[in-house]
Amino acid sequence: MSDGQIVVSGLTKHYRNVRAVDNLSFTVEPGRVTGFLGPNGAGKTTTLRMILNLVTPTAGAATIGGQRYADLAEPLRHVGAVLEASSAHKGRTGLNHLRVVAAGAGLPRQRADEVLAMVGLTPAAKRKFKGYSLGMRQRLGIATAMLGDPKVLILDEPANGLDPEGIRWMRDFLKSLAAQGRTVLVSSHLLSEMQLLADDLVIIAAGQLITQGPVDEVMGSMSGNTQVRVRTPQAEALTGVLAAQQATVTPGGDGALLVTGVDAPTVGRAALTAGVELHELTTERPDLERVFLDLTAGKAGIR
Amino acid sequence: MRLVRAELLKIRTTNAWWLFGLGALVMLALAFLVNAVNAIQLLNNPEDVPAMSPEQAEQVRAQADVVFQAANLYTSGQFFGLLFVMLLGIVVVTNEFYHQTATTTFLATPRRTAVVLAKLVTAALFGAVFWLVTTALTIPSTMIFFAVKDFDNHFGDWEITRALLLNLLAYVLWGIFGVGFGVLIRSQIGATITAVVLYLLGTTAASIIFTLLRVWLDAEWISELQVIVPSIASQLMITGTELPGSPPQWVGAAVLIGYAVVTGTIGTLIVRRRDIG
Ligand SMILES: Nc1ncnc2c1ncn2[C@@H]1O[C@H](COP(=O)(O)OP(=O)(O)OP(=O)(O)O)[C@@H](O)[C@H]1O
Ligand SMILES: [Mg+2]
Repeated sequence: MSDGQIVVSGLTKHYRNVRAVDNLSFTVEPGRVTGFLGPNGAGKTTTLRMILNLVTPTAGAATIGGQRYADLAEPLRHVGAVLEASSAHKGRTGLNHLRVVAAGAGLPRQRADEVLAMVGLTPAAKRKFKGYSLGMRQRLGIATAMLGDPKVLILDEPANGLDPEGIRWMRDFLKSLAAQGRTVLVSSHLLSEMQLLADDLVIIAAGQLITQGPVDEVMGSMSGNTQVRVRTPQAEALTGVLAAQQATVTPGGDGALLVTGVDAPTVGRAALTAGVELHELTTERPDLERVFLDLTAGKAGIR
Repeated sequence: MRLVRAELLKIRTTNAWWLFGLGALVMLALAFLVNAVNAIQLLNNPEDVPAMSPEQAEQVRAQADVVFQAANLYTSGQFFGLLFVMLLGIVVVTNEFYHQTATTTFLATPRRTAVVLAKLVTAALFGAVFWLVTTALTIPSTMIFFAVKDFDNHFGDWEITRALLLNLLAYVLWGIFGVGFGVLIRSQIGATITAVVLYLLGTTAASIIFTLLRVWLDAEWISELQVIVPSIASQLMITGTELPGSPPQWVGAAVLIGYAVVTGTIGTLIVRRRDIG
């Protein structure tokens, strides 16, 4: 498998009375971290499980490097996955857990020790899984995914339960994997974290694709939402001038004004021309959270 | 093959196998004791039993045979041994759901039929090991016991060898039942309790029902039908001599193989279709 591209086409899953995933299509490129976003119940987990042949789609298909997961001869050597509701036997040690998986996948036994060291769990190697903290469990999950040194990584909410240190470790780890040319698809709720981590975004809601593309593009498509924050003792005068320029001015609550429709230089020039005194002038780009909430507005909510 | 190795490793890296093994050994000791007491009773005073109906008297006479008692002793512990083997088979499957390792297992091997086959083979192997250990204990014990009591131990007789081999078959097949059962009832506690209750109560209940039916319909052949109950079929397989009112041993084997094929196939089909997660 030369290419680790993931192609999802027309993927659909109906449960008894929910369309968990509805004709969803997107692609995930190698060498980049792709963030997979959507409100609770959007169908992220279902989609990832369908890509991995754990859930049978009602319609559509997904391929990894051109092949369906079920057709991969040695899947763990191509794809590593960390999923929700995936765990280890409580009474088995972390090292033994990895050895069992390695044995089943036909991977050399010492890979278990190697990946354990990679995630920093070597000190807990001989401890039973039930004694692991949430963060340790996530790390063991990542170690399991890395057993076959895969070209493609798929992670469902990997940051769950990690402390700030752990989240940072995870971010650096995933970025380094992408930098090595691997494909990294990661779902998350932590939007600020995604903004730091992802190169590309796939946003879904109610089982349907909302938008897909590089982070800048997705954010840029919402640049109409960029606003300028100004503070002035002559609020009325400024509002008058800006209204003439087709700008919308709303009170910002704390005495500032929020201006949309024009950029900061325009506001500054207008103020100068009108002789209005300014105390603050800043451009406020929408953050991912704003974009996300705007994009999925009305489609969020538990189904 | 590597999947079977992985399954064996799964069992070896947890506590279940030696807990079940220990349970089986304790029950084996008890069963041997009971059987030995029974044997002394029947072999020493065959006529000294309170006679009931003519058929029952005939049954008792048949059991007062040395070969029958020898086979019974050599295969001591089967009743609970089979139960433990079935429980192990159940655990081999339900562990994957109880501990949420099914995802990892099926990610490593998307060909689910292969996974189920490996589990069937593993459970069957464990059944064989249980048989080996129990038989290795009962053979010398029986020989010593018979030597002390001055009976011929009949070891090497075809009837005895047949009982021992069919007993092995029973152990293997009950491992397979366990896997099938675990697939049907995914909940570990649910599957275990249902299996134990069915095994213990079901055997007795079936005997009672068949007896009632026989009396009611006044037909002898009804009691031969009992063999369709798996645990009764297993007991039939290990009798050394043919008992009046029971079908020949091979019928028990055929019934059990039938059940094993059905449970194994249904289990495989279900796992192939099921969504994981
Ligand atoms: N096995 C199932 N049976 C019935 N409905 C299901 C099943 N699995 C998921 N669903 C439904 O499908 C929808 C999508 O669920 P999914 O778990 O894929 O969402 P998600 O995006 O991962 O949500 P979250 O962010 O909360 O993890 C939900 O409405 C859920 O109730
Ligand atoms: Mg989810």
